Amino acid sequence: MRLRAMLWLLLACALATAGVMQFSGPLPLHSNLLALLPQTEINPVAEQAVGSLAEAAGKRAFFLIGPASPEHASGPRNAENAGQAAREFAAQLRGTKAFRQVVAEIPQFDLRQLALFYLPYRFNLLNDFDRDALVEGSLDVAARLQHKLYAPFQLGPAYSLADDPLGLGDGWLAGLPLKTLKLEPWDGLLVARNGEEVWAVVSAELAGSSYDSAVQRHVVSAVGAAENALKKDFPDLLVLRTGTVFYAAAARQSAEREVDLIGAGSLIGMLFLLYLVFRSFRPLALGLLSVGFGIAAAVTVVVAVYGEMHLLTLVFGASLIGEAIDYAIQYFSAHLGAGKDWEPMVGLRRIAAGLLMALTTSLLGYAALMLAPFPAIAQIALFALVGLSAACATVFLLLPWLLQTAGRRDPELSVTLPRRFLVFWRAYVSRRACLLLAVGLLAVSLPGWMRLSSNDSVQVLISRPVTLVAQEEKIRDLTGFGNSSQFFLVEGQTPEDLLRHEEKLFERLAKMTGPGNDRALDSYLGISAFVPSAERQQENRAYLAKRVFSDESGLRYQLAEASLRDEVASRFVEEFKGGQGPVLLVEDWLKSSLSAPFRHLWLGQMGGPQGDQGGFAAVVQPQGIRDVARLAEASANLPGVTFVDKAGSVSQLFREYRQWGALWLLAALSLVYGVLCLRYGLAQAAFMLLPTVLSMAVVLGAFGYLGTSLTVFNVMGFMLVLGVGVNYAIFLCEGGVNEAATLAGVLLSAATTLLSFGLLAFSSMPALSGFGLTLLLGICVSVLLAPMVLSFTRAATP
Amino acid sequence: MLVRVSRCSFLIRCLITVGCLLGDLSAWASDMLSQIGAQIEQHAVVRAEFVQTKQIAALKRPLVTKGRLTFSRSQGVLWQIEQPYRLNYVLGEARIVEIASDGVRRVRETREVPGLAQVGRVFRAVLGANADALREYFEATVQGDPAKWAIELKPRQSQLAQYLSGIQLSGGRFLEEIRISETGGDSTRIRFSNSHAAAALDEAELLLFGAERVDRAGQ
Repeated sequence: MRLRAMLWLLLACALATAGVMQFSGPLPLHSNLLALLPQTEINPVAEQAVGSLAEAAGKRAFFLIGPASPEHASGPRNAENAGQAAREFAAQLRGTKAFRQVVAEIPQFDLRQLALFYLPYRFNLLNDFDRDALVEGSLDVAARLQHKLYAPFQLGPAYSLADDPLGLGDGWLAGLPLKTLKLEPWDGLLVARNGEEVWAVVSAELAGSSYDSAVQRHVVSAVGAAENALKKDFPDLLVLRTGTVFYAAAARQSAEREVDLIGAGSLIGMLFLLYLVFRSFRPLALGLLSVGFGIAAAVTVVVAVYGEMHLLTLVFGASLIGEAIDYAIQYFSAHLGAGKDWEPMVGLRRIAAGLLMALTTSLLGYAALMLAPFPAIAQIALFALVGLSAACATVFLLLPWLLQTAGRRDPELSVTLPRRFLVFWRAYVSRRACLLLAVGLLAVSLPGWMRLSSNDSVQVLISRPVTLVAQEEKIRDLTGFGNSSQFFLVEGQTPEDLLRHEEKLFERLAKMTGPGNDRALDSYLGISAFVPSAERQQENRAYLAKRVFSDESGLRYQLAEASLRDEVASRFVEEFKGGQGPVLLVEDWLKSSLSAPFRHLWLGQMGGPQGDQGGFAAVVQPQGIRDVARLAEASANLPGVTFVDKAGSVSQLFREYRQWGALWLLAALSLVYGVLCLRYGLAQAAFMLLPTVLSMAVVLGAFGYLGTSLTVFNVMGFMLVLGVGVNYAIFLCEGGVNEAATLAGVLLSAATTLLSFGLLAFSSMPALSGFGLTLLLGICVSVLLAPMVLSFTRAATP
Repeated sequence: MLVRVSRCSFLIRCLITVGCLLGDLSAWASDMLSQIGAQIEQHAVVRAEFVQTKQIAALKRPLVTKGRLTFSRSQGVLWQIEQPYRLNYVLGEARIVEIASDGVRRVRETREVPGLAQVGRVFRAVLGANADALREYFEATVQGDPAKWAIELKPRQSQLAQYLSGIQLSGGRFLEEIRISETGGDSTRIRFSNSHAAAALDEAELLLFGAERVDRAGQ
């Protein structure tokens, strides 16, 4: 006994050392919701692109300041108010140092800059319409000249008559996709307009990662303070906000609240129940010791393996308390049942087989979860495996030494109620009644199964606070920001390769846009719209040379006819003839301040598989998607182009795993049955599994009746129902002569487990609450049906 | 100057319409811009003929354009060039359609071009006689009396001041002349004649406005 206790102490010391070495500060908690998503893309660059787009967006916070309600929108000082408020709001934020940079005033977006930038390259650049006309030879030089002269409006930015008398350069400028956002400059600010309403934009860059808790705290308090200050000066105005940091902060806050709630709830409930049954403080202290050791070991191992712990794991871990206490409870009930005849090692030996069996089935359930492709779920499984094993080890090693004195409490007193129940069950519930009950339950559940629906959306995994989502939607609506989870990834060995690949993609996409209702998308945005490939630029120039400048005297005559000054006409012709002209390169465009709103499209050079320099990558963003399937087709057979649909891929994966889940469950069921057979034989093992299988059937039926959609997380919950639910039948079977005390133990451990998982069902994270609800219902039914085992074993051993 | 953005010509149209709508300026008040609102309500449609003379540095001689202008309070503006060749412009609230003599249309949503929406807003502000909105963009100086008046508009925001050094409007019962000076040195003068009010658009005009909604041809 002493030897075992020494062994436990040794383990505890090792754990403490490992723990101290790992944590120099607070627990490294991870709140990145994206980290929960499994890898879905075959192309590793696609995963990198998803990550880099998310990270670029993740470091930004975005605010719109405008009228609190439409009634406040009209009025003479509407725009001035919003503008002034935006400047004050930005100044407030700047004062707090929560942000690296806060931008309200924008550098003047000078359309002349745009024309100036493209001026040296204008003979290389043509829009699709003009290019087609040149290729076909249908370009009417005289008409173009006339149009340039007499059109009362240039629709958008344009070159001077001297630089571009034919308007081909104007055509290129007009074709640039600058309209991606509905924002416009106004008085040095960017504003969005919606009818009479004017919303001013303030954007900010965080001082650190959105997932850093200190950054989150600073940002949330700074924004709150600035918002309050604004309310005082401009009571009619409202601040809309969006940004990863707000979602991450909300997720962390709710997770911390839940950890407190679930942890404290199950701990207090558990201690209360323990005292109710054993009427002694010693089991309380020893139970806490066993659970505490389990949780500490789990945290240490998870952090050692992953380097950090996800919030989801922590919330789940809080609910594991209820299950980890089970082993200690079994030992206490053996102690209670033995009364004055208590021999620590004899008591342990009596329950050892049952404990190990229960541990094995639980571990099998969690091990099945580890196979799931979700990093977060695998982490939870590891946490549970280590936590449960350590708690059980405490019972085997430490508890016999600490619980040597016999109990003074009469066992019969503590178990009056369970014993009465047991007597009732033995007397009145026959084997046939059990089978009838089983058939009856199945019959009742059957219509529920028919009504089962499923939900594979990513939203199942990630909960987003309603108010934040509403604000984000309003901001999207006002500004025209797109959704970045669906895009084309374009790759190439060199930037030139990449641009050529992108141009091929553009040709296909161009056919899918258009005025008809059958279009697959409204528009698309990619870097090659600003910088064509060198090949395309040289082609354009060659067409111009062939169709326009080959007849030089004719062109000069036409220019003179249009009353262009001779020196202006000469300069134009000479400039074209003057040489090949510079080719516009991606790096030129990136260096210009004009590319700032579009730089996220260029991912640049990616790391190769062996850490060497890989190829180049860029993103093409489709906008106004109507038909995702056709978009995916667009990239088919195109070299260097991949359609990435992260949300779609994750949903697809969820669907597959939900469907495969049924098969997994069958496999796990057979495995557990096999383990049970080793000890109990074929027939009895089947009876022991019956309550658990029935409980799953009933829960599925209940979900059908309740209209709860089945998700992959419910299926994972069933894995655990299998692992945990069968324990109660095992404990009852192993109870032997001390049945009454064992039953009390079984009920007690069921109550603590239900308490924990029941609280988990109220989590705001849909994945956890679905998981919790499945466990709550499943284990509840398993426990209620567990005494069935008695009906069958009684017949076998009269 | 190498590059020019012909933005101001659009502004002209906006302002022409101010002029057309000024109509009877009998009650010339100190707040002229606010007064326009009341004036506008009087006429559903105003028609006028115009002669536009552009002075462009790159040209040997001034560029002269002649045509007709139709303003409809409910639909927008028709700018129909008749000489030296036919070209129609339909200016709606959300888009501008160019119809060449061979019927080829070019449509631009004002939202698609940065700045065009802003110009369009000046335009709509004027049409709606929204004096507040107009003051967002210009400082206005008013001189004269209802029989003979002149307004000088100076851009308040640097965004507009990039292209435009100033606009002068003058007239009597109707707008008679607009002068626009661009920062690059080019200038435009538009003279109006035969201005008259009407109750409604005719069928051909309605067709031009109506057809605007349907087509969206190549740009």
